[in-house]
Amino acid sequence: MIMSFLPIWIVDMIGSILMIVFSFMCLNLVRALRNHDQGNVIWTYLFWVCLGLAGFAISRSAGHILKQILVLTGFESAWSFIRPYSGAINTLMFVFVASVTLFFERIWKIYQQISGDKQALQKLSDELLFLNQNLENLVTERTKELVQSELNYRRIFEVSRDMILVTQKDGTIINMNPAGYQMLGYRESEISFAKKSFAEFFVKAEEWRKIKKTIEQKGFVSNAEISLKHLDEKRIRVLVSGSLDEGLPDRDATIHFLVKDIEQRRIIEEQIAQADKLASIGQLSAGIAHEINNPLGIILGYTQLLIRNETPNSEKYNDLKTIEKHVRNCKCIVEDLLNFARSSKPNEDVMRMEEAMEDVLNFIQQHAGLDSITVKKAYDAAVPDMLLDEKKIKQVFMNLIMNAKHAMGKKGTLDIATGFNPDEGTVFVKISDTGHGIEKKDEARIFDPFFTTKPTGEGTGLGLSVSYGIVKNHGGDILVESEAGKGSIFTVVLPVVSPHSRKAHAKIHSYN
Amino acid sequence: MPMKPIRYFRSLGFIVLILIATEPAFATQAHSAPEGIYSHQMAHFFFIFSMGVLIYWLRARKLVQLVGWRYIQYAALFFILWNLDAFTVHLLDEQLAVIEIQRLNLWEINITARNHSKGLVWLYYFVKLDHLLCVPALLFLYFGLKRLLKKTESPTPRPVQS
Repeated sequence: MIMSFLPIWIVDMIGSILMIVFSFMCLNLVRALRNHDQGNVIWTYLFWVCLGLAGFAISRSAGHILKQILVLTGFESAWSFIRPYSGAINTLMFVFVASVTLFFERIWKIYQQISGDKQALQKLSDELLFLNQNLENLVTERTKELVQSELNYRRIFEVSRDMILVTQKDGTIINMNPAGYQMLGYRESEISFAKKSFAEFFVKAEEWRKIKKTIEQKGFVSNAEISLKHLDEKRIRVLVSGSLDEGLPDRDATIHFLVKDIEQRRIIEEQIAQADKLASIGQLSAGIAHEINNPLGIILGYTQLLIRNETPNSEKYNDLKTIEKHVRNCKCIVEDLLNFARSSKPNEDVMRMEEAMEDVLNFIQQHAGLDSITVKKAYDAAVPDMLLDEKKIKQVFMNLIMNAKHAMGKKGTLDIATGFNPDEGTVFVKISDTGHGIEKKDEARIFDPFFTTKPTGEGTGLGLSVSYGIVKNHGGDILVESEAGKGSIFTVVLPVVSPHSRKAHAKIHSYN
Repeated sequence: MPMKPIRYFRSLGFIVLILIATEPAFATQAHSAPEGIYSHQMAHFFFIFSMGVLIYWLRARKLVQLVGWRYIQYAALFFILWNLDAFTVHLLDEQLAVIEIQRLNLWEINITARNHSKGLVWLYYFVKLDHLLCVPALLFLYFGLKRLLKKTESPTPRPVQS
């Protein structure tokens, strides 16, 4: 069949030229892609595909063009020579392009792996950039939070009413809060306990050793009651809790103590116990006194009857007189016991405190002598007239001053002061001496009946008991402060009962 | 891993046996004329296979959802068609020699089918216009790459931490 060769020729020639042109345009594009993102393995893959296609296009199209030219110009034999080479190269190019194309899946996986890693790196980089840009702000913010936190804890440390103490493991003080200094009687502004040992403040070294040992063994100690030394040489009873902080590897271990002052609580507890004890003794004494008082009265009565019938200065008369004297002594003791037991009602006399005190001082001056003792008086003019049993109150003053005189011996200073506390509605009389004071072990027993430190025969041991009973009978109290070797202070506190107040008048009876 | 001595001696013995037991043989194989067309035709099939694999992965990875890769998929499809076309041409005139072409003058040819089939002649005439398939293939590849470049050059918004 005879057919036109022109369409085949045109398509072949133009197509060959276009093949070369488009293949190189593709190569150019893929080079642009690679330049844009050199690390992208997909572009590298496409580059090799396009390179193969360009080679394929050249080998094929050049062969076709050359063939057409040689055939048209009558050099068919030349084309016959070139044809095998052109075909072989063309085949190789096919295989090359096809081979490279087959790697697509592997290349795509690698690309995804790299993309994932790149994204992760980018994210990390962004985060680092963000942190870098905002580091200053973050640090400022964090520092502010830390400062606030530090301030909060510092406030707890500063304003705590209990002692907070940080020591090294051996007890060397690192830091103590102001309450700690105050508890021990010091001012933080005047002295520092840093480098001092906490053990130095223990009254008993054994207590410190025990606490230290417990902390070393258990890591903590809880509510151990110990006594600490106060600046004023007195002891303070405290509860100590502490725990061991092993700390960070590069820091030494520390012990954190919390010390609670329980001195006041203990004093109150002791006072309550003392009051209970004295009340019990009072009841016992009152019972005994009542039982003994009646027989004594009968003995005294019959003795006096017998004395009337006897000739004065006869032997029998003298014997009966001796009986009478001792019975009277017994009755005095029983009377004192009854006073202590508050079994008798106080009389109600209008009296002024300083006048009563002056009477007592004059009496003692006349009968016992106070020449070698300096008496200092400080009466408060604000002390009002009071409704009291004058005789008994004078007896209280007498007992206290005589005790003070005895404690001072031949020389000393006796301070007598009165005062009025309108807020509490009380009057106090303070009697201070510079005597030998009261031993710590005796403090709890001084108001016990028949307790005395005087030699046998010099005292009955009823003076303070009777005074205590009288004051309590008036609704008052006796407070004692004493330090062995330095003296004692007895403070009698009495509620103000105005003679013009009926209400108050009634009150005094309610105490009975 | 180093070779064990016993294996080493076994391999050496095998080589020595081959060397001493040689006989006259045709050491090289002759490659006659048809090999060229066979290897060329096989290359066409290899090309078809690799383009088919490419289309499979482009679809499997859902890359065809992107315009650039979709054009590349079309390019691969046209290359497959072109390979089939070229394969047919080579099959008809060279491999099976069922078509004979005679040049009458500069612009006329006489195409004769051995079985005198006009349909086969017309088929041959049209498949000779193979550039109508391979040029669009390259054109699609070009457009595909252009779209990919355009997409790459457009700035991708990245989340910024605040």
